[in-house]
Amino acid sequence: MNPSTAPQPRMDGDFLSLLPEHPLSRVLASNPQALAGHQIEATTVLAFHYNKGVLMAGDHRATADNLIFSDRVEKILPLDSDSLMAIAGSPAVALEMARTLETSFEFYRRSQLQTMSLQAKTRALSQLLKENIPMVMQGIGTVVPIFAGVDYSLPKPAPTIHFYDPLGAQFETANFASSGSGSGNVKSILAFQERWGSPAPHAMDLKQATTFALRLLTTAAQFDSATGGVDPRVNRYASVYSLSPGEVRKITDEEQAQWWGKEKKA
Amino acid sequence: MVGKGEESMSELFQWLEAIRDRGEYVHDQLSHATPVFALSRPEGILLVGVGLGQSKIFEIYDRHALAALGNPVDIEKIRQTAIEAAHLEGFNRSPQDVTMRRLMSYSLSPALKTSFESVFQPPLIVEGVFTEVGETPEDDILMEFTHDGNFGVVHDGLAVVSSNTAAATQAKDWLRQRLKPHSNRNRVLGLLLAMWQAMANGERIGNSTKSAQLDTVDLGGRVLEMALLDRKTPHKVKYQALAGDA
Repeated sequence: MNPSTAPQPRMDGDFLSLLPEHPLSRVLASNPQALAGHQIEATTVLAFHYNKGVLMAGDHRATADNLIFSDRVEKILPLDSDSLMAIAGSPAVALEMARTLETSFEFYRRSQLQTMSLQAKTRALSQLLKENIPMVMQGIGTVVPIFAGVDYSLPKPAPTIHFYDPLGAQFETANFASSGSGSGNVKSILAFQERWGSPAPHAMDLKQATTFALRLLTTAAQFDSATGGVDPRVNRYASVYSLSPGEVRKITDEEQAQWWGKEKKA
Repeated sequence: MVGKGEESMSELFQWLEAIRDRGEYVHDQLSHATPVFALSRPEGILLVGVGLGQSKIFEIYDRHALAALGNPVDIEKIRQTAIEAAHLEGFNRSPQDVTMRRLMSYSLSPALKTSFESVFQPPLIVEGVFTEVGETPEDDILMEFTHDGNFGVVHDGLAVVSSNTAAATQAKDWLRQRLKPHSNRNRVLGLLLAMWQAMANGERIGNSTKSAQLDTVDLGGRVLEMALLDRKTPHKVKYQALAGDA
């Protein structure tokens, strides 16, 4: 047998190396031409440190060119009890990446009887983005995610925020990250608030941080037609999650409504 | 001269002999292992064993767990087979499609049977109980399996797995009379460990057998392994290792 075509030995606990043995699954679309035509994309997702961990939030809109495809898309996805992913770009690819990672992390934890390290998790997402480069080069299926995970190698375990470029390069950020077509405005406000705001985002409690995230998304939607589905004035709330060691918490629409209302009265 | 028919008969006889010998060999090997328990309770399914830490009680998938006894390498093989099958099914279809009945019927039982009947390969020395937690105790599924691929559903919500089936039956009767849905965790654990001790030491089980004291129970230098498939948790992962699990 030609050595280059010989099957590679399977790595212990690696779900991705298990998949080719069972060709029912398709990790990523193998025929990019099938996606030609209207691509569904555009978004604003963001993550920043608040006083108990990381807050991650996103709008609900998916667009195809000038059409609003949906205002009910969930773009913040819990991967396990220690990690969150925010997706921006083509949902077809991004949602499949999130599902693949979610299964990979749990498969590793259960089969190896230990959790995957944060470094391995961020690398796994990098790897999926690298595998998606042919799609990016054709101008379709681009994904630019944000990842937040708990770093247990720190003396005091704490969540960290990582952002990526479409080719898979991964960077850790000190304070915040944002991705998608509305991210420019959001980054400017976050940078301003972090430097001159009172309180700065990292000093906010959960209620303040949630309300701040809603304000950011509402502002982004004001300047970016591809961001939307969030408007607390008419009871439309965002996907908001908090991450702290061992806990991923969804901030419900009811909580958002209550905290937004209090903010307004104050 | 031996005819072809007689040759086939002879081979068949040899195969049957080999299977019988394997059965005895596996049974003998399993007789050294101590029992494991699975119990359907209002709060979920409790799994209990005594081992070396992460050696008897395992998480398999969102709603599924395994309690097993036998050779550690063989427990590992069946555990990995179950985890792979469950995750592939959950990924390719959905987590709701991962069911105990399908896992057992189409993945685990055939693997065990094939292994047992492949007479030129060493047999898998493993027995245990796979569990699936449901919305209510009535929806719980407990499936006991043996080394040769046989399996059966436990209908009364209590599984006691041991190669000594007579002792396991006695232990079940003893436990059934004493376990109540409202019994607290320590009470349940004391009763299960009393049966563990009696079976591990080959003691007679009867009305005079007392519940074990958790702080003084002798586990023979091993550790208590315990987990709950938590029915009440809002999280999709129901498995929760409990204190006592190393």
